[in-house]
Amino acid sequence: MVSHNKRFIAALASVAAMGIALSGCGSAGGDTASDGATSGEPVEITYMHRLPDSEGMTQVNDIVKKWNDEHPDIQVTATKFDGNASDMIKKLETDVKSGEAPDLAQIGYSELPEVFTKGLLEDVTEEAAKYQDHFAEGPFNLMQVGGKTYGLPQDTGPLVYYYNATAFEELGLSVPTTQEELIESAKKAAEQGKYILSYQADEAGNMFPSLAGASEAWYTVEDDAWVVNTETAGSDAVASVFQELIDSSAVATSPRWDPSFDASLQDGSLIGTIGAGWEAPLLMDSIGDAQKGQWRVAQLGDWFENDGKSGPDGGSGVAVLKGSEHPAEAMEFLDWFNTQVADLVSQGLVVAASTEAAETPSDWAEFYGGQDVMAELATANDNMGEFTYMPGYSAVGAAMKETAAKAVDGSGKVADVFATAQSTSIETLKNLGLTVAE
Amino acid sequence: MTATTQSAKAGGARRAAKPKRSNAAKRENRTGWAFMAPFGILFALVFILPIIWAIYSSFFRQVSEGGGAYGGGELVNKFVGFENFQYVLTSSNFWGGIGRVLIYTLIQVPIMIIAALALAMVIDSFVVKHITGFRLGYFLPYAIPGVVASIIWVYLYNGQISPIVKGLAALGINVDFFADNIVLASMANITTWTFTGYNMLIFLAALQAIPHELYEAARIDGANGFQIAMKIKLPNVRSAALLAMLLSIVGTIQLFNEPQIMQTADPGISKSYTPMMMAMNTSQGTLTPGGDGPASAIAIVMALIAGVLAMAYALVERNVNAE
Repeated sequence: MVSHNKRFIAALASVAAMGIALSGCGSAGGDTASDGATSGEPVEITYMHRLPDSEGMTQVNDIVKKWNDEHPDIQVTATKFDGNASDMIKKLETDVKSGEAPDLAQIGYSELPEVFTKGLLEDVTEEAAKYQDHFAEGPFNLMQVGGKTYGLPQDTGPLVYYYNATAFEELGLSVPTTQEELIESAKKAAEQGKYILSYQADEAGNMFPSLAGASEAWYTVEDDAWVVNTETAGSDAVASVFQELIDSSAVATSPRWDPSFDASLQDGSLIGTIGAGWEAPLLMDSIGDAQKGQWRVAQLGDWFENDGKSGPDGGSGVAVLKGSEHPAEAMEFLDWFNTQVADLVSQGLVVAASTEAAETPSDWAEFYGGQDVMAELATANDNMGEFTYMPGYSAVGAAMKETAAKAVDGSGKVADVFATAQSTSIETLKNLGLTVAE
Repeated sequence: MTATTQSAKAGGARRAAKPKRSNAAKRENRTGWAFMAPFGILFALVFILPIIWAIYSSFFRQVSEGGGAYGGGELVNKFVGFENFQYVLTSSNFWGGIGRVLIYTLIQVPIMIIAALALAMVIDSFVVKHITGFRLGYFLPYAIPGVVASIIWVYLYNGQISPIVKGLAALGINVDFFADNIVLASMANITTWTFTGYNMLIFLAALQAIPHELYEAARIDGANGFQIAMKIKLPNVRSAALLAMLLSIVGTIQLFNEPQIMQTADPGISKSYTPMMMAMNTSQGTLTPGGDGPASAIAIVMALIAGVLAMAYALVERNVNAE
C-alpha cells in the first residue's frame, strides 16, 4: 500500500514538475547541470528557509552567492518559504514523499522529533561530528533525535526579560530577582496603570514549557517508552505566579501576535515582558522610535522555581532531508552558512555558532541604550536548561494556547494549561503509535 | 387515408434521414467533446481525482512503526477501515464545530437575506434615483477578499485600537467583541457585511425582471406602493430567495476565514472551532489524531452533510414551486 501510495503521489508530482521544467527550459537556455558528480559538473544543493529576509538585512541569496562564487563545484539554490512552520512541514512532507524535497530545510527544534517521526530526515551523524566544535553544545544536541544527528543548529531562542529602564526608574522599580519581588513590583506598577509582565496566551505553548521546563524535563524516555510529566514544580510556579497576577489585574493580557500587543508597547502601558532572544529586533519595530534608548535586556530572575534558569523558545536548525543525493556536500555548505555569524545576526538571529562572538548591530545598541545585547543573549544561552520535545508536539502546543486563553477572561485557570499539556501529550503519542509509560 | 400515408411518408422520411443526421450528430459530438476536453481534463485533475484520493486516504491512518521512543523514523499508512469515520462521528470537537456552524447559519443567513431583500426592494422602488451608485456601493464589500475583510474587522473589534470600541466606551457602553458569548456574532457580522450586497444583487435582478405591466394593472386597481411590494414583488422573488438561501447555507458550512483570522486576536478560538478549520489543522498535525487520513474523513463527512442540505433544499424548492 505504501509504495502504491508513493507512486501515485510521484505521478501527480511529476505532472506538476513537468510544467515547471517546461517553463524553466525557455528561460534557462543551455544550463543543464543536474546530475552533477558523475559528469564532473557541479553538485546542486537546494535549501529552503523561512528567515525574514527583510529590508536592511543581508539577504540569504547574497550570502549564498558568496558561497557559490567560492565553490564552483557545489552550487546552492536557496528558496524562501512564505508561511508558518506548520505549513512548511506539510509541504516538505509531500515533497519528500514525491522525491522532490530540497536537500536542506529549516526546522524548529521543537519540531525536529515530529519531523523525524514523519520520516523526513536523513541521518548525517558522521558528517555532523566533523563540525560539532563549531557550535554551542546545547543547540547541537537539539538537532539530534535518539542519539543520531540530522543537521546543524542555526539560531537559539533563550528566554530573556525585556524592560523599559526609564519607565522602571520613574516607578522606582528595579528588575525583580525573586518571585516575591516580581509579584510585588507588578502590583506596584499596575497601580500606576503600567505592566511589567505580559501573559501571552498565544505563546503559551512555547513560553510555558520553556519557563516551567527549566526546573525539570517534561519528556523523558525510559526503556523506549515516553514518560510524560508536564506538571512539574516549575509548572506549578508558572501557574501560581500568572494566576495571582491575572487575579489582581497586574499583568497585560494581549496575545503576543495581535496588534493590541504592539499598541500597549507604544502607548507605554507595557513596560516589561518575557521574550525569546530573537524578539530583540521585533520588539524594536513594535515599540517604535519614541522609546529608543530606554529599553534593556536582562536575565530572568528566579521567578519560577528554576534557580533563574532560562529555557528555549523557538530557535531552529537546518536539517538534511531524506532523499538528498549529496548529504556530505549539503553539510559542508550548511556548516559554512550557519557560521556566517555577522550575516545571520543581520537577519535577527541569536546564532548557535561558537566560531566567533556575535557583535551587537549598531541599531540594536542604539535602541537598547548602548547595551551589548548579544553578550547578554549569549549569557542567556549558557543559562539555558535542557529541554527535549516529544514527537507531535504541535498538537500539544496548540491545545495549551487554547486553554491559556480561558484564563484571561476568568473561565479557566492557568494551571489548566499544564493539565491540558499532560493529557494532550499522552493522547498524541498514542495516536502516533508510540509507547507511553504510565 | 391521407393521414396515414402522410404519417407513413413522414415516418419513412425520418427513417431515411436518420443515418445522415447521425453522421452530422457524430461530427457535432466530436466537436462538442473537443471543446469540452480542456474543461474535462482540468475538472478530472483538480476535482474528481482529489475526491477519489480523499476517499481512498480516509481509510488510512499515519502511525509510527518500528518500535523505540521515536518509532522507525517513517510514518506508515495503516489501513484502519472505518476507524477515521468512527473518530469523526464520535468526536465532540467535530459536533461542537457543527453546532457552532448551525447556530451561525440559523442566525446569520436569515438576517442577511432579509437585509438583502429589504435593500433590493428599496433600490428597486421608484423612490430611489441613481440606482447604479447604490447598487455598486452595497456590492463593494463583496469585492474585498474574505480574508482581508476579516483582518479589517479584527482591527475594528480590537479593544485597544478600534475606534468603534473606543467610541462605544466613551458613550458608556463597554463591549468585548471577543467575549465567548459574542464572538460568534462578531464573525456573523463580518459575513453579513461581505455578502449582503451580493445577495441583494440576486434579488434586484429578480425584481427588475418583473413585468411592469403588473404594477400598472395593480395601480389601476387602486393598489398602493406597499400593497404592490407585498402582493406582487415578494411572491415573484421567492425562487431567487431560495437560491440565495442555498448559496448562503453552503457558504456558512465552509466557515473558515473569519474564525481563522480572529484566532490571532483571540487564541481561545479553538483549532476545531469549525469543521473546516478542524480538517485543516488535523492534516497539519496541530490536532490529534493528525494526518491526511482523519482529515480526509472530516472533509468527506462534511461533504455528505452539505449534500443532504442541498437535497433538502431541492425538495423544498420543488414543493414551493409546485404550489
